[in-house]
Amino acid sequence: MTPDPALREALLAAVPSLRAFAISLSGQVDRADDLVQDTLLRALSNLHRFEPGTNLNAWLFTILRNLFHSEYRKRRREVEDPEGSYASRLKVQPEQGARLDFEDFRVALAKLPPDQREALLLVGAQGFSYEEAANICGCAVGTIKSRVNRARFRLASLLNVDDVDDLGPDSMTRAALQGIS
Amino acid sequence: MTGEKGNKLARVIPEESLNDKLASEPQLDKTSQKRIGDQLRAMYDELMQQPVPDRFKDLLEKLEKSSAEKTK
Repeated sequence: MTPDPALREALLAAVPSLRAFAISLSGQVDRADDLVQDTLLRALSNLHRFEPGTNLNAWLFTILRNLFHSEYRKRRREVEDPEGSYASRLKVQPEQGARLDFEDFRVALAKLPPDQREALLLVGAQGFSYEEAANICGCAVGTIKSRVNRARFRLASLLNVDDVDDLGPDSMTRAALQGIS
Repeated sequence: MTGEKGNKLARVIPEESLNDKLASEPQLDKTSQKRIGDQLRAMYDELMQQPVPDRFKDLLEKLEKSSAEKTK
């Protein structure tokens, strides 16, 4: 299928989002770029299936998401690649202080089950509606809502969002004790 | 407990506005939800700002050229 200039522009314009999604999903830039490239090739060879006027981004995300999962399943069969293995890989990368928060966040994100991670990314980061995300993942809207909810809950506990030092009664006690000593 | 700004503790609160199967699941309070959301978007935005690797421009250009030649 011929990518006409307008379509080429549209595909190129989608690349930053596709990469951000693929990197967040897989935890690896190299693998993410391969995923994005495969997505573009797959999209181009299936252009006849794309309904003009519908959301090109959503269609591309569906392709990328499906590629990621089929690859994930394949890898799992080949080598035992237990979940969280890339969470530990991520930790190895030294980061300067400025990006420490994101690094913590990425590590926490990588600890989520893939279905929760992708739901949260699609809705919370990429800004798809619950309905669009459900279409992309091929599941019910309620399932997406539930996954997003569980993902947020898990992240909050992993990142100790509720552990606020300046306000908690424990830290007030600590501060008081320190004042005494 | 009126949305007092200083209260940042994550609590499990029942939320009647949630439908589907969420009704039975624990919910984060709004402040914690916002914090998670803000961090998520900040991380994602940083990734979105990265320049598009040349391989993608090259790939699409190559495809365009090869299909143009075919139609000649």
